[in-house]
Amino acid sequence: MRVTMSTIFHNIQNNLQNLAEDLQSINASISCGKKYQRISDNPVDVGAILGLTTEEGQTVQYDRNLETAKGWLSVTLSALQDITDIVRASTGLANQMATGTYNAAQRQAAAQQIQGYLEEIMQVGNTKFEGQHILAGYSTDSPPFIEGAWDIRPPVMHLQSGSTGTAVSGGTYTGTESRTYLVEVVAGGGVGVGTYRVSWDGGQSWTTPAVIPAGAAALRDGVEVTMGGTWVAGDRFSISVYQPIVYQGDTHNLEITVGAQNRLKVNEIGSEAVGGDLGTHDIFQILAQLKSSLEANDPNGAGASLERLRSYESHSTTILAGLGASLDRVTMKESIFGTLKDELARQISDRGDTDLVTAANLLKAKETAYQAALLSSSKVMGMSLMDYL
Amino acid sequence: MSGISNILQIASQALLTEQLGVEVTGHNIANVDTPGFSRQRVNLITATPVVSPAGPLGRGVKVLGIERAFDPFITARLNEKTSLLADYQTRSDALEQVAAFFNETQAGGVNELLSQFFASWHDLADNPAGPGERQALLQQGLTLCDAFNSRANQLVQERQFLLQQVKPVIEEINEHTAAIAQLTREIVETESDGHAANDLRDKRELEISRLSELIGVQTYTAGDGTVSVALSNGRPLVQGVMSFDLTYQVNPADQVEVIWQGPGGTTEILDSSTLTGGKLTALVQTRDLVIPTYQQELDQLAQDLIIAVNNQHSQGVGLSLFSQTKGTYQVTDPTTPLGTSLPLGSEILAGSFQIFVDRDGAPLASGTIAIDPSLSLNDVVTSINTHPVLGGLLTASVEYNSLKIFSNLSSDTFGFAGDDSHALTALGTNTFFAGDKAYTLDVNAWVLADPDLIAAGQIDATGAHAVGDNRNALALADLEGAPVGPGGLTFGEAYQRLVMTLGLEAQDAANQETFYQGLVEQLANMRDAVSGVSLDEELTNLVKFQRAYQAAARLVSVADELYQTLLAIKR
Repeated sequence: MRVTMSTIFHNIQNNLQNLAEDLQSINASISCGKKYQRISDNPVDVGAILGLTTEEGQTVQYDRNLETAKGWLSVTLSALQDITDIVRASTGLANQMATGTYNAAQRQAAAQQIQGYLEEIMQVGNTKFEGQHILAGYSTDSPPFIEGAWDIRPPVMHLQSGSTGTAVSGGTYTGTESRTYLVEVVAGGGVGVGTYRVSWDGGQSWTTPAVIPAGAAALRDGVEVTMGGTWVAGDRFSISVYQPIVYQGDTHNLEITVGAQNRLKVNEIGSEAVGGDLGTHDIFQILAQLKSSLEANDPNGAGASLERLRSYESHSTTILAGLGASLDRVTMKESIFGTLKDELARQISDRGDTDLVTAANLLKAKETAYQAALLSSSKVMGMSLMDYL
Repeated sequence: MSGISNILQIASQALLTEQLGVEVTGHNIANVDTPGFSRQRVNLITATPVVSPAGPLGRGVKVLGIERAFDPFITARLNEKTSLLADYQTRSDALEQVAAFFNETQAGGVNELLSQFFASWHDLADNPAGPGERQALLQQGLTLCDAFNSRANQLVQERQFLLQQVKPVIEEINEHTAAIAQLTREIVETESDGHAANDLRDKRELEISRLSELIGVQTYTAGDGTVSVALSNGRPLVQGVMSFDLTYQVNPADQVEVIWQGPGGTTEILDSSTLTGGKLTALVQTRDLVIPTYQQELDQLAQDLIIAVNNQHSQGVGLSLFSQTKGTYQVTDPTTPLGTSLPLGSEILAGSFQIFVDRDGAPLASGTIAIDPSLSLNDVVTSINTHPVLGGLLTASVEYNSLKIFSNLSSDTFGFAGDDSHALTALGTNTFFAGDKAYTLDVNAWVLADPDLIAAGQIDATGAHAVGDNRNALALADLEGAPVGPGGLTFGEAYQRLVMTLGLEAQDAANQETFYQGLVEQLANMRDAVSGVSLDEELTNLVKFQRAYQAAARLVSVADELYQTLLAIKR
């Protein structure tokens, strides 16, 4: 084949250009650390990297969600544990007071202690995590447990045999602290015949006896009682006045996504876990009744509360175990996501990051080729018959 | 007539011939770098011999003509491949440009933004009342919208940019065809004496090859020196000494139409699919066939995102409720069915949605509004205003062809729930996104103005709604993994597929370009092997002609000596 000037010079230019382009692309991949600068460099790999990056982003997000879940679960667990501890202390106290060896004054003091426990449980129940009330369902913006209006409870009757006495409490409380009014029939008989006396310190001191009126008898601070039937001397009944603690959250469970199609319940509903709904496991109700029994110096009543306290304890143990299990699940997921993140990062790096050793070798090889091409080109360009004529 | 004068005759003829050889060699050397130049050589034959007693006696050399070394077949193939190379080059450049808009190898790509957008919903689900999470979500939403907007805009601009190139290319084509016709005229005139007009023919070949870069053509050379240049569909651009121009127009469907202006004022619109090869074909086809498919895919993705997010968002309620709201979409006519008068009207199903009204923050009343795609916007307005419960509390109206609802009392607010008709999505009420395609995608102005309207929660059947409710946010975050569209791909996967298809197409065009580059180089080398100038060869020829000239000159002096010898006899 005839080799002409344009062939020679054109080929030199093209070859040098191709080598320069290769050098440039290797240099770019080394200097920016990425194998591909454009999606057309390797569309399949770039597409795969995009998929992996999305997956990595999701994993990082799930991991973040787990942090939140862990926060909620831990705070809930510790709050409920605190409450259980307090309940345990109350149980101990109720256990002591249910025996007959304590006097009215000691039971009054114990009632004060129970009041303290009640307030503490309410406080713990109103715990906030990152500004949100954790036991309030979705109503995280307001405390789940609040003291309701003063409530004059129905009388708790302790009648002698043969007595047909009935009592109905009423009135509007004007006092400022919770109390239990103890009423004792001094002389038997019905309305206008029998007499009664009142104590508000558990029977340590009594009012002077008064005749049972036909209508409502004012006890004190607006508390009234209407007595009917025929009473027997020694009949007793007690009327407690307190502010019951009510639950004002809702019953929604807060869920957090901890994986694709995978949600975890991270809260406990205050009314179920603590109380305020007047249900079987309403610890506020149980303690309020215990307190009333103590105020009324009623060891039997305290004994009855003891049963319910134990029942609450086992209820709360179940809840705590559930929270513990959820926390375990979170920890396990965290470790899975940790491994997954590492693996995804490795795959992304494998596909997308420049292998410096390979690239450096390639660069060296191209550099040598370029130099060789320059050398041979200059030799070819310099040759001419003219030099010999 | 032999004799010494014959020797002189031969010598002078030889001198002239060798001088001509040197001249042609000089011409070749001078044009070593001239594009399109074919090396020339002097065609020599022996002069007709004379009859002599010794038999036919040679009378020296005779110049038959100056011929150029040219292979029409290689040149035709070269032109054809050059045409395809130019096509793929232009295509590759344009696609690479488009691919750059979707360059996901760098940070800040749509894929990453989609991921971050859904991550923001997760963050909101983790803390549904958090103002920071709400603000972050809005920012992510806006960034995502920007990304979609700018890419849609860049695609439009790329089409515009390609259109801008069509005019100069067509003008250039017309210049080349005119030049070919003009050169043919000159060639015919010049060659009337029987000698080939080598340089003019080279020029014409050059024009044809330049024309081939712009548009694929077929050429037929006739014996009389004329050439026909025709488009691939047979319409001639040059016929004899006549040339026919191309023009273009953009039709109402925004497609470029190339028009052939034939003889006698006839015109024909060339279908863009009948064009083959050359820059013009690549420009028109990339603009009207390739880029629109990506525009459609991007628009579809944006629309799927809008519909999916809004369908879920409109089920929910934010931290605060509406005291008034206005839809983001306009109907074309408030009296025609919603199904056809709204941009996303086809989403509407027969069903209903609920409106809950709060007074001073506490649940007051609720009502259900039945929806059917055949209802008009006026029907919906009437349905709300005459509702036995809601009618007295809320007032609906048509404002700028959108649905407007406001509460009659300042103490009342309202929210939406249970929309199985997707009417709220189609009306743009209680939605997160506004717009209906990639270019118009935006965050709903109501949400933007009041981040508390981001619906992370839902209204219970009792009308209760709480700040810690994250049900709707969870459902929205789940959309990241939910299949959308007919292919069952997630948003991320659908976008990844778009990027991959685009990348593959760009890669394919680049590969084709490389392939044809190689082919064209090889053919150019073959052409040069025939027509190109080799300086060493020309130098050899130069020496050859020079020596021959010297020898011929020597012949003159020998003849002179012969004469002198002859004259000396007479003295």
